[in-house]
Amino acid sequence: MASTLRRTPAEPAVRPASAGRRRRRGGFLSPPWWFAAPALAVYALVVLYPSLSGVLYAFTDWNGLGERSFVGLDNFGKLWGDDAARGSLVNTLLLTVAIVLVQNGVGLLLALGVHAKIKSRTVLRVVFFAPAVVSPVMVAFLWKYVYNPAPDAGLNAVLGAVGLGGLRQDWLGDPSLALWSVAGMVIWQFAGYSMVIFLAGLEGVPVELHEAAMIDGAGRFQRFRHVTWPLLAPAVTINVMLSTIGGLKLFDQVYAATNGGPGHASETLSTVLYKQAFVFGNYGYSTAIALVLALFVAAVSLVQIYYLRGREVTS
Amino acid sequence: MTSTLRGTPLGRRGFLRLAGGAAAVTALPAGLAACGGSSGGAGGTLRLVGVADQQKPLDLLTKDYTKAKFTTSYAPTDQVQTSVRTQLGAGSAPDLHVVYPGNGSAMSMAQIAQAGLLADLSDQAWTKKIPENFKPAFQHQGKTFMYSAGASVIGAIYNKKVFQEAGVEPPKTWGEFLEVCDKIKKKGKVPIALGAQTQWVTQLITYALVPSTVYAKNPQFDGQMQAGTASFAQSGWADAFTMYLDLQKRGFFNDNPNGTTFEQQTSMVATGKAAMAIQVSAVLPDFRKAAASPDDLGMFPVPGAEKEADVWIPAGVVVGLGASARGKNRDAAKAFIDHLGQQQNVNRWAEAVACVPLFRDGTSKIDPVLNDFLPYMEGNKAVPFMDQAWPNAEIQPAHFAVVQELLGGKTTIPQALAKLDETYRKK
Repeated sequence: MASTLRRTPAEPAVRPASAGRRRRRGGFLSPPWWFAAPALAVYALVVLYPSLSGVLYAFTDWNGLGERSFVGLDNFGKLWGDDAARGSLVNTLLLTVAIVLVQNGVGLLLALGVHAKIKSRTVLRVVFFAPAVVSPVMVAFLWKYVYNPAPDAGLNAVLGAVGLGGLRQDWLGDPSLALWSVAGMVIWQFAGYSMVIFLAGLEGVPVELHEAAMIDGAGRFQRFRHVTWPLLAPAVTINVMLSTIGGLKLFDQVYAATNGGPGHASETLSTVLYKQAFVFGNYGYSTAIALVLALFVAAVSLVQIYYLRGREVTS
Repeated sequence: MTSTLRGTPLGRRGFLRLAGGAAAVTALPAGLAACGGSSGGAGGTLRLVGVADQQKPLDLLTKDYTKAKFTTSYAPTDQVQTSVRTQLGAGSAPDLHVVYPGNGSAMSMAQIAQAGLLADLSDQAWTKKIPENFKPAFQHQGKTFMYSAGASVIGAIYNKKVFQEAGVEPPKTWGEFLEVCDKIKKKGKVPIALGAQTQWVTQLITYALVPSTVYAKNPQFDGQMQAGTASFAQSGWADAFTMYLDLQKRGFFNDNPNGTTFEQQTSMVATGKAAMAIQVSAVLPDFRKAAASPDDLGMFPVPGAEKEADVWIPAGVVVGLGASARGKNRDAAKAFIDHLGQQQNVNRWAEAVACVPLFRDGTSKIDPVLNDFLPYMEGNKAVPFMDQAWPNAEIQPAHFAVVQELLGGKTTIPQALAKLDETYRKK
């Protein structure tokens, strides 16, 4: 089948210089920016300023209470040699990969399912999306019941009832399973969120392209592979980026469900930085971890944007 | 969809990109954001922040105190620790707030006092009655900075009916303890409920055993640790961990202790599914609340030695209260603490949390279930909870983690002790 889709040009089209000047002149003084200005001012005051000023603490030995002195890059050197931080980095990356792959895979399947012309699709959309609006801490507590290690409770009871009693586990208490159990609850919560974004993408796929492909003799899978999937690229970009950022920053669910345990089995960078600040009182070191995490998230996001946007196509 | 604003079309793709950009910006971790606290108490009203365990006694005592008004709030330990420490750092601490005894936690008396953030209480009459062995929990550089109503103990909270059904009595030696567990197990009950998913629970069995395996043999252990002449690895801590794991190997714990919470542990003992839980006496009210009748439950010292005479117990000062040194209402806050130091108020607080009063007179009542512990406390066979003498806030969480790893089979006793030693030496 000949594709009628084309890639988005990597370089922007060359426009007359005068057009560029007109747009710049309109820039920050034009009415749309006035509307955004109050929100931007609040955001700058509440988020940007504290975040950026907090960077200074990363170069001090502040304990959150007393005086602080400048220690240069010591906190970053300490981070390099910190077994717990290194272990948590590995956990964070494993969690992120699992979340990005499974959450988006499930989200795409759900989107394809509820995009079909079935009567209950509106209800199903709401049902699948509902967990995404529940507080992550509440989700963690809910799943602590699901993951109850007793053989006659929660998930273990279900497994027993369907004849899979041999698969019963201590979901949150087994050091080799805890991390994946946390990933499971996060995926359950946000698969519906990914679904909504994929649905937005699916709504934008022109029906004519599908009809043309059908006339060309394309089957269901071929239509998905050659028509739907390329046009879903923007949704894939945003979903992959959001789930990557969410995975790298994961804190609430881990802290509420396992507190990073058993031992350090489900520790993430965010739980380590929280404990360094609020449990151990090492605010300077904690801010250094936060800074590294922020830069890491930004770098990964930029790479993803560059790579995934280069693959986007237009109809 | 397109927007008509100033000719800048916003298609689905554009919207998704915009959303992505916003998401990337907000990805800055919350830890980078400076945290502020609320302002100090309004004039004449004392702002008090405590942990949940303190609510019952403080509700009683603030209600009857007529010289000041209070706004109070209580929350679980980790939440209070986060918020109050942040407020302390920001200079907006409550007038009265929770303080943990000794050193070894981020909200401990010594940590906050050395930053100059706790008011000196040394001129108050009650401070003269602090027993000598408890002074390190209350004092920093010879000055008293914390109020506490007394001491709680760690022991075995047990279900009397389950013990009766198994035909056993509270044991006096480690050998007897193992026999009791064995008989209970043979009756089809769980001998010891362990909720090690709740991290603070992990430490209690070690703490129950270490007084007998370490301090009974070497009362100077803490001083030697500080001087660097002793270590966890070369001490009775190794025996305590061995005994801890022996209980697991013999099948005396419930299945999957790392996946079991404190609440589940409490329920197991209260309902008779399990015979006992090694716990701090301060949680007796939780166990009683979950039981059909409070009288179903008793408590006995865990005998961590082969001879009865060699058994020592842990007895730690309960979580206390301090006054902000820089608060606008410092004098009023100190006056309230002075009021708390009166014998009848010490008694009321101690009764509310089932602890042994800091000092006693004829009016003091001690929860009868603690009677078996008093001879140890009066015979100098009680030592403070181990973390109260530790030099930094990282050792206790390290202890939680290694116990969970030991129970999960992910580390060995020598590795666990080496980790504790390494963390102890951190500056």
